[in-house]
Amino acid sequence: MNTNLARLAVGETGRITAIGSTGAMKRRLMDMGLLPGAEVLVEKVAPLGDPIEVRVRSYYLSLRKKEAEGIMVEVKS
Amino acid sequence: MTAAPKLRTSAAADPPGDARAITVAVAGNPNSGKSTLINAIAGTRLQVGNWPGVTVEKKEASFEHAGRHIRLVDLPGTYSLSPYSQEEIVARDYLAHERPDVIVNVVDATNLERNLYLTVQLLELGIPVVMALNIHDEAEAKGYRIDVRRIEERLGIRVVPTSATKKKGLEQLLEAMVGTALARGARKPVDLSYGPDLDAAVRDVARELVARHPQLVDRYPLRWLALKVLEDDERVSAETSLDRDAFAAATLEHLRTAHGEDLEALLAEARYALAAGLAREVLQKPELQKIELTERIDRIVLNRFLGIPIFLATMWIVFKLTFDLSSPFGEWIQGMTSGPFKRWAATLLGGVGAPGWTVSLVNDGIISGVGFVLVFVPVIFAMMFFITLLEGSGYMARAAFVMDKAMHAVGLHGKSFIPMVLGFGCNVPGVYATRTLENQRDKVLTALLVPLMSCGARLPVYVVFVGAFFPQNPGTVIWSLYVIGIVLALVMGVVFKRTLFRGDAPAFIMELPPYRMPSFRSLCLHTWEKGKHFLTKAGTYILAVSVIVWFLLHLPWGVESKKDSYLGKAGQVMAPALAPLGFGTWEAASSLITGVIAKEIVVGTMGEIYAPAPEHAEEAPTLGEDLKEIVTSFGAAVGESVGNVVSTVGISSLSFEEKEDHSALKGALRGAFTPLTAFGFMVFVLLYMPCVVVAIAMRQEFGGWKWFGVAFAYQTALAWVAALLVHEGGRLLGLGG
Repeated sequence: MNTNLARLAVGETGRITAIGSTGAMKRRLMDMGLLPGAEVLVEKVAPLGDPIEVRVRSYYLSLRKKEAEGIMVEVKS
Repeated sequence: MTAAPKLRTSAAADPPGDARAITVAVAGNPNSGKSTLINAIAGTRLQVGNWPGVTVEKKEASFEHAGRHIRLVDLPGTYSLSPYSQEEIVARDYLAHERPDVIVNVVDATNLERNLYLTVQLLELGIPVVMALNIHDEAEAKGYRIDVRRIEERLGIRVVPTSATKKKGLEQLLEAMVGTALARGARKPVDLSYGPDLDAAVRDVARELVARHPQLVDRYPLRWLALKVLEDDERVSAETSLDRDAFAAATLEHLRTAHGEDLEALLAEARYALAAGLAREVLQKPELQKIELTERIDRIVLNRFLGIPIFLATMWIVFKLTFDLSSPFGEWIQGMTSGPFKRWAATLLGGVGAPGWTVSLVNDGIISGVGFVLVFVPVIFAMMFFITLLEGSGYMARAAFVMDKAMHAVGLHGKSFIPMVLGFGCNVPGVYATRTLENQRDKVLTALLVPLMSCGARLPVYVVFVGAFFPQNPGTVIWSLYVIGIVLALVMGVVFKRTLFRGDAPAFIMELPPYRMPSFRSLCLHTWEKGKHFLTKAGTYILAVSVIVWFLLHLPWGVESKKDSYLGKAGQVMAPALAPLGFGTWEAASSLITGVIAKEIVVGTMGEIYAPAPEHAEEAPTLGEDLKEIVTSFGAAVGESVGNVVSTVGISSLSFEEKEDHSALKGALRGAFTPLTAFGFMVFVLLYMPCVVVAIAMRQEFGGWKWFGVAFAYQTALAWVAALLVHEGGRLLGLGG
């Protein structure tokens, strides 16, 4: 199933299929290891509902949902 | 020697041959333990400054090792060498243009893959690299087995396992960097393969660069430049005005058909593929991984229900420790400078027959100014210590994670919360604390709002006025002023977001690093660097302003009444502007002007203007008594500091009990103000221009006076409008004016 990273539930893993954002934002996401093919596990949602914490390339990263929406993923079962 | 000396600045001064100085650039990811490693190597020899033109911190150290002169340059911690953040630009410009003899790449051994992504980019520069495989002890404790030899072989560089906190591997690292720098040319890093298509494209572009732009090949490392051309790197394009599409047209066409339009993404993928491949090859993780400590802590600290209470409790502890630990020492310094130091100066000047006005200048201008700078030292040191602890331990990132949504609503960043909270104690550490934010926009916006947090220096003003006009409910009135400041900060946040800081808020893409205990030595060094920086830089300005205010008060010569001094005259000029607010008198205006040094000075000036105390000669204590008093009062300060922290739950340094008797002043004020105008005056004091120390902090953090100018203008306008609303609104409600 294809969706974006912001829509994954806590505990779900997705494989990145595309980065929708452009320019500096895209490069920043890529530099942090969010590239097509990478697997991302949603670890937590902040107490106020945003941002989220994910695990990628064996480290923890937080990003706002707005940024996560630009990351297309294929949900892994 | 084959390699030409690269040190343009120092090459001439150095002895010829192998004894020349070696320049070492230290690069690495944030949270890779780079600062700790540098502190462990260079210690107090580090010089802290800024990179030219930007407000990114620059650390450098020069020292001798094994008979060689080594110059160590710490590059900002970055995840990449992209042309987007200030830090990344500083790091890559330095590497590409200054070309150090060797790069020490600090790599977090517990987080190999992402760290190697930067390593791959560093290798593109063709500069010899030594890898410090740092935090090696922690990786071992986790059962990681890293094949150091294999990394060396695959990358063609020396790799030294280190543990900066335990000071392990430092000698070997120094030896490796000197050895690598001296063997320059003999040992080159491997040109890593990015796959046949990209490799061919890099070769083609490089060939055409050599043929068509030989002057550029002198300015940039060739392979690096070819890669930047392929990536269509913004910054290199702007610097060289090279057009990517004018190069290797056929190869580019092939790349695009095979791999898509976005070559920048293609290269990022190739680099990460290399990093991931290498990490897989050299790293063996234990089959069964324990649930890590970080994960266990985060289950509690970031919990849906506990996250915010834990954050607030942490803030309260940090605030209490910062201000309650430091304030007795600040008062001790104040007591020393205002008492014994002034008496000694007076005795000394009197002894050499200097005229009376010099005593006043030295005491009220210079010693007061110096004392004023010194009073800030304990609080700045305490704040820096705790902020560094929060950052180094990994909690700062969690605090930002927890608070981001709330702060983002007013255009701020999750990390903005901490500077704002510190602002309640003193705006100065609040402004300095904005350096924990990564983005310039977030830093500046936060610093602009910090002065609206009612600081401890405004309390004495409130206390006197509340005592004179609202003795029945002092707490409520003072509380309302804090609330006004907070509400206006929220409003101004939204206003700035829509005006000066229009456009998208910068992204919030932040690593949550593992929790670690920073080394005490590193903490202290960092704190010391910052404190020293404040003393030397801020001190000069504060002293100058203090002397200027003294002259304003005492010139022209022989002035009898304060009304005729320059300060009084300035007050008379300003008074009409304050008339609509209900306190348009020269006395009020003059007092407000002296508040530029610190808002609490408003009370002192008012005391002198409204209720001048008759001079009375005191029995001066002897030198011995003075010295004894200084020592015993220091002991008392230590006791009080400890007592503050353990005895009460509240913040003792912010309790509003009066420390001096102001009954004469209060009586005079009751004649000059009504309760309504008194409240308006307090609102004005809360909001109008930040004090000179905040101005200097802003200048130090953001370069130039521009942002202080903005703060000065908007705050003074805001103060005027708010006080007017209080005055007019109050009159409409029939509160009298």
